[in-house]
Amino acid sequence: MASSPLIAIVCSDRHRNGKTLLARTLVDFLLLEGHDPFVLDLGHPDGALRDYFPGRTALVDFAKIPGQMMVFDTILGAPGRDYVIDVPAPQLSRFCEAMGDLEFRAAANAAGFAVVVLYIVDEPHESLRSAVNVEEILKPDLFIPVANQFVGSALPEPVDGLTLTMERLDADLAPIIGNRRFSFRTFRLGDESGVPLPLRAGLKSFLHGLIGGFREIEPELSLSKLKS
Amino acid sequence: MKPTLILVGADKGGVGKTTISRTLLDFFARKNVLTRAFDTENPRGSLKRFYPTITEIVDLENVAHQMKILDTLETANVPVTLVDLKAGGLSYALDIFERIGVLEAARSGQFTLGLFHIIGSSIASLDEIGEISRYLGGLEYILTRNFINETNFFEWDEETSRKYFANIPNSHEIDIPKLNEMAYEQVDVAGVTFKDFIDNRNADGQAGKFSFVLRGYVRKWCSEIDQEFSRVKLIQDILSGGRPQSKS
Repeated sequence: MASSPLIAIVCSDRHRNGKTLLARTLVDFLLLEGHDPFVLDLGHPDGALRDYFPGRTALVDFAKIPGQMMVFDTILGAPGRDYVIDVPAPQLSRFCEAMGDLEFRAAANAAGFAVVVLYIVDEPHESLRSAVNVEEILKPDLFIPVANQFVGSALPEPVDGLTLTMERLDADLAPIIGNRRFSFRTFRLGDESGVPLPLRAGLKSFLHGLIGGFREIEPELSLSKLKS
Repeated sequence: MKPTLILVGADKGGVGKTTISRTLLDFFARKNVLTRAFDTENPRGSLKRFYPTITEIVDLENVAHQMKILDTLETANVPVTLVDLKAGGLSYALDIFERIGVLEAARSGQFTLGLFHIIGSSIASLDEIGEISRYLGGLEYILTRNFINETNFFEWDEETSRKYFANIPNSHEIDIPKLNEMAYEQVDVAGVTFKDFIDNRNADGQAGKFSFVLRGYVRKWCSEIDQEFSRVKLIQDILSGGRPQSKS
C-alpha cells in the first residue's frame, strides 16, 4: 500500500451504483493491511458506513460549514493515517467546489498525504464527462475510474492508467453482505461461514479483483511522482 | 508621491464601516503599502483592537487630534492614512474638513482624498448621497455596498445609479461580498487581521490554531475583495506609487 497516508475520495455523479460498497471494501482492505483508516461519510443523515465501521466513521452534513470543518480540519489536524471519504452524488459538486476554493489538495500534499479519487463511471455517457470534470477540478495525485459491472459503465476500453472493476455479484449475496455484522475483512481472513457455499466463489472473485486493484495504487502513485 | 487620506464612513450606523476599514488596511498590508489609521470611535475604537500598532483613537472635535491627522500627512512618511469615521459622523466630518480647508487642499492637489461611503442594504441609505454631495467635488468617491452580513440588497440598476451619481465626478461603486458568518465570527473572536487569520497567526505573531476551512473561506473572500479594490482608480494610483500604470 502507499507509503504516504492516503485520502481516498470515493464518488460518482449517480446514485446507487456501488459507492458505499466500494468505500467499504477499501476500508476493509486498509484494515487488512494493518492501516488505521478513518471514514468520513458525507451521506448525512442516512450514510451506512458507520454501521460497518462504528468508532472509525463520522457521519457528516457537508452542506453546513461545521460539516466541512469536520472533514478538512479533521484530516489536516490528524495527519499520518488514511482517510476514506464517501461522497454521495448530491454532495459531489459542493464537495468539488469546497476542495477547489479551500485549495485542499495542496494543503493535503503539504501535510504528507496522497490524494486519490475513485470515481464510479456509471452507464450514461454523461457520467464519463462528469468523471473528466471531477478529475480536472480535484486534480488528485491519482484518479481511478471504476466500472461496476452490476450497473454498467460508459468507461471505454482500454483506458490508460489504473482502472478498477467491480465484478457482478450474485443478487442473493445482497442481503448477506448488506447485514451490518458482515465483514469483508473477516471473510478474507477465512471465516466464510456466513456465506452459503455456492456464493463464496463469486464473492472471493469480487474481492480478489478489487483488492488486486487497490494494491496497484502505491506503484501508480510512485510512477506518477516520477513522471511529474 | 502625494500622500493619500482615505475616509471610511456613513451616516447610518451598523453598516460595517470598521469592517471595510479592516479590509482596506489588510489589502494594503498584502500589497506591502504602509498605512496608519485613526479611529474616531472615541474612546473605545474597535479598529485599534485589530491593528493596535498602527491605529490611534482620536476625537475629531478636538483640534489637537485634527492636527495629529492632517498636519502629519506629509511628514509621517506613510503613503496611506485611513480615518474610520464613527457611526453617524460622515456629514459632520466632511463639514469640519470643509470649514478648516482640508477639502480645498485636496482639490488643489496637495494630497489625494478618497471617501469610501458605506451603504446598508436599504435603499434609504442612498439618501445620504444627496446630503453629502456638496462636499464631494475633487474627492475620489467610492460608494461601497457592504454585503458582508446581508444576502438581500436593494435592486441596483442603471436608473438608480444615474439618479444618485449624475452630479458626482470621480465616483466608483464596489461591492464587499458576503463572508460566511462563522468565519467572520472566528476572526473577530481571535482579534487578528484577516491576513493573519489566513496565515494562521495569532495576534502575538505565534502560530494559531484556526480552522483550515474557515481560513480558506476568508482567503477566498479576500481575493474577491482584492478584485473589487483593484478596479478603483484611487487604489490603482496608490499601488503604482504615483507612476503611470502599464497598459499591458
